Amino acid sequence: MNYFVIGYYALLIGSSCLAAHYRQREIFLLLFSLTLASFVMGIVGGEGALWAVTIAAGLLALAGGTAYSFREFLIIISGPLTARALRTAPLTAAFGMFVIFTYAVLGIFAPVIAPYGEAEVISQSFAPADQDMLLGADQLGRDMFSRLVYGARNTVGLALVATTIAFVIGALLGMIAAVKQGWFDQFMGRTIDVVMSIPSLIFALLLLSILGTNMIVLVVIIGVIYSPRVYRLTRAVAGNVVVMDYIEAAKLRGEGMWYLIRKEILPNSTAPLIAEFGLEFCFVFLLVAGLSFLGLGIQPPTADWGSMVRENATLISFGEITPLIPAAAIALLTVAVNMVVDWMLYRSSGLKE
Amino acid sequence: MRDVGRLLLMRLGLGLLTLLVVSALIFGAVELLPGDIAQAVLGQGATEETLAELRTELGLDRTAIVRYVSWLSGALVGDFGVSLLNQQPVTDVIAVRFANTLFLATYAAVIAVPVAILLGITVALLRNSIFDRVANVLTLTSISSPEFFLGYILILYFSVHTGWFPSIATLSEDITFLELLERTFLPALTMVLVVVAHMMRMTRASIINLLASPYIEMARLKGAPGWKVITRHALPNAWAPIINVVALNLAYLITGVVLVEVVFVYPGIGQLLVDAVTKRDFPVVQACCLIFAATFILLNLAADVGAILTNPRLRHPK
Repeated sequence: MNYFVIGYYALLIGSSCLAAHYRQREIFLLLFSLTLASFVMGIVGGEGALWAVTIAAGLLALAGGTAYSFREFLIIISGPLTARALRTAPLTAAFGMFVIFTYAVLGIFAPVIAPYGEAEVISQSFAPADQDMLLGADQLGRDMFSRLVYGARNTVGLALVATTIAFVIGALLGMIAAVKQGWFDQFMGRTIDVVMSIPSLIFALLLLSILGTNMIVLVVIIGVIYSPRVYRLTRAVAGNVVVMDYIEAAKLRGEGMWYLIRKEILPNSTAPLIAEFGLEFCFVFLLVAGLSFLGLGIQPPTADWGSMVRENATLISFGEITPLIPAAAIALLTVAVNMVVDWMLYRSSGLKE
Repeated sequence: MRDVGRLLLMRLGLGLLTLLVVSALIFGAVELLPGDIAQAVLGQGATEETLAELRTELGLDRTAIVRYVSWLSGALVGDFGVSLLNQQPVTDVIAVRFANTLFLATYAAVIAVPVAILLGITVALLRNSIFDRVANVLTLTSISSPEFFLGYILILYFSVHTGWFPSIATLSEDITFLELLERTFLPALTMVLVVVAHMMRMTRASIINLLASPYIEMARLKGAPGWKVITRHALPNAWAPIINVVALNLAYLITGVVLVEVVFVYPGIGQLLVDAVTKRDFPVVQACCLIFAATFILLNLAADVGAILTNPRLRHPK
C-alpha cells in the first residue's frame, strides 16, 4: 500500500458516493463497477494495472476536454444555422472533427512541420530518440517523426483521391441508371453484383499483380473496386427521388437527363451521399494501409503509414512501441471519421431507437 | 415445401452463375497484361525464340477462350496448372496451405461466434445505458483498426512483455493438437477481435429492431415477465438475422486472414497469395483468387439460404 493506491481508491469511492448522492445513476454505475474491477486488476496486475487505468482515464478526460473546447470554438466562429446544428453534436463527433482537422493541418503543412525530408538519411538505422529526433530513426536512419508527418499527406491524400474516383464513378452511374432505367439499369445491377462478390482485398491483389504497383494504377484500381458500393446506395437514394412529382414535372417540361441529375436529384440526395463518402473513405483508407503494409501499395522511399509499420516491425520484438505509432495514426483517423459519420447519419435520418 | 425447394435451387443456380462469371473475370484479367505472360516472365530482354518456346510450353498459342475452358475444367477437378516460378503443380502448393487457413478461420470462428452473439444480445438489452456506449466505442475502435495494428499490439503484450504465447506461428508435423492451439492463438485472437466487433454491432442492431416490433410490445403489455418475452417471443424470430450475421462475418474472416497471416508469418493461403503477387506468379494468383472468391460466394449463399429457411416471409417474393 502506498499513497498512489490509497488515493486511487479514495478518489474512485468518493466520486461514486457523490454520483449516488446526486442521483447520477449512470455515472455511479460506471464508477463503482470500475472500483470493483480495480480490486481484481490490482490483485492480478499489481500497481501497474492501476496506473494503466489512471492514464487511460486521464487520456479520456483530455480527449473529452479537447472535444468540448473545439465544439465551443466551432460554434462561436460559425454562422447561426451551423451553430445550432453543432450544438446538438455529441462529444465523440466533436472529437472526430478535431482529429480530422489536425490531420488536415499536418498533411497540408507537412514540409513546414517536419524537421527533415521524408527520404533524408540523417543517422544510423534504428537510432534511439534524442532531442533532434522525437521518435528515433527508422530502419534506414530516417527521422520517424518527419516520415509520420509526410505520411499524413501521402497515405490520406491517396485514399482521398481513390475515394473521390470511386464516388464520381459510382454516383454518376447510379443516377444515370435511376433516370434511364430499362436495360441499362438491369445490366449495371448484374455487373455490380458480380464485382461485389469478389472480396475487395483479393480483387485489388489480383489487379495489382497484373498491372504492377505504381501510384496512378493503385488509385484507379481502388476507385473502381469501391465504386459498386457507392453505385448501390446512389441507385437506391435516387430511385426514391425519381418517383417524385417534381421530377415528373421537370420531365414534362422537356428537361434533359443532365439537368435532372444536376438540378433535381443531386441536391435531394446529398445528405446520405456525404455520410457514405465518410464510410467509403474509411474502407479505402484501411485497404490502402493494408496494401502498403503488404508492400504492394505506395512504394518507397515515399513515406507511408502502412509500409512504415512493416519496415520497422522488427523493433516490436525488442518491446519498442514506435512501429505501432503509424498504425495507431491509421486507427485514430478511421475512428474519428466514423464518429463524425455516425452523427451525420443520425441527423440526416432522424434515427431514434 | 415445394416452393422452398425451388427457391433454394434458384439461389444455388444464381450462385453458380456468379462463380462462373467471376472465374471468367479472374482468368480474363491476366489477358490485360501488356504483351502476354511469356513477355512478363522473361522480361524485355528475351529473344524471339525463347519467347516462342515459352509460349508453346504454356499453351499461349491457343485462343483465350480455349485456354479458359481448359483452365476451368482443370480447376473443377482440382488441377490449377503449374507454378511459373518452380514448375510445381499449383494444387500441391495450395492444398496444405488452404487447410492451414481453414483451420485458423475455424479456430477464430469457434471462439468468436458464441462470444459475439452473447455480447450482442446483452448490449441490445442494455441499450442506451453507459455499458452500451462503452461497448459501442470499443467495437468501433476495433473495427477501425487495421488488422496488423491489433496483431502487433497482441504480439507486444502477450509475446514480448509476458512471453505467454509465441509471436510467430511456425507449424511442423510433430506437434500435438494442444501445442497447435497455443501456437496459433495470437493470430486467431486478432481475427476474433475484429470479427466479434462486427458481429456484436450487427447482432445488436437486429435485436433492437426486433424489440421495437408490435408483438413484443403486446407481450409486454399482457404482462409476460421480461425473460419470457426474450426467450419465447424475441429469440425464435431473432435466429434469422443472427444466422445471417454469422455467415456474412465468416465470409469476412476468410479475407481478413490475408493480413493476419502476413503479420504472424502463418503458412496459409493468404501469405501464399501475397508472395505470388509480388513475384507475379500468375497461375498461383489465379488459383488463390478463385478459391477466396468461391468461399466468399458460398458463405454469402449460405446467408441467403439461412434467411430463406428461417423467415417464411421471404419464401413468397412479391
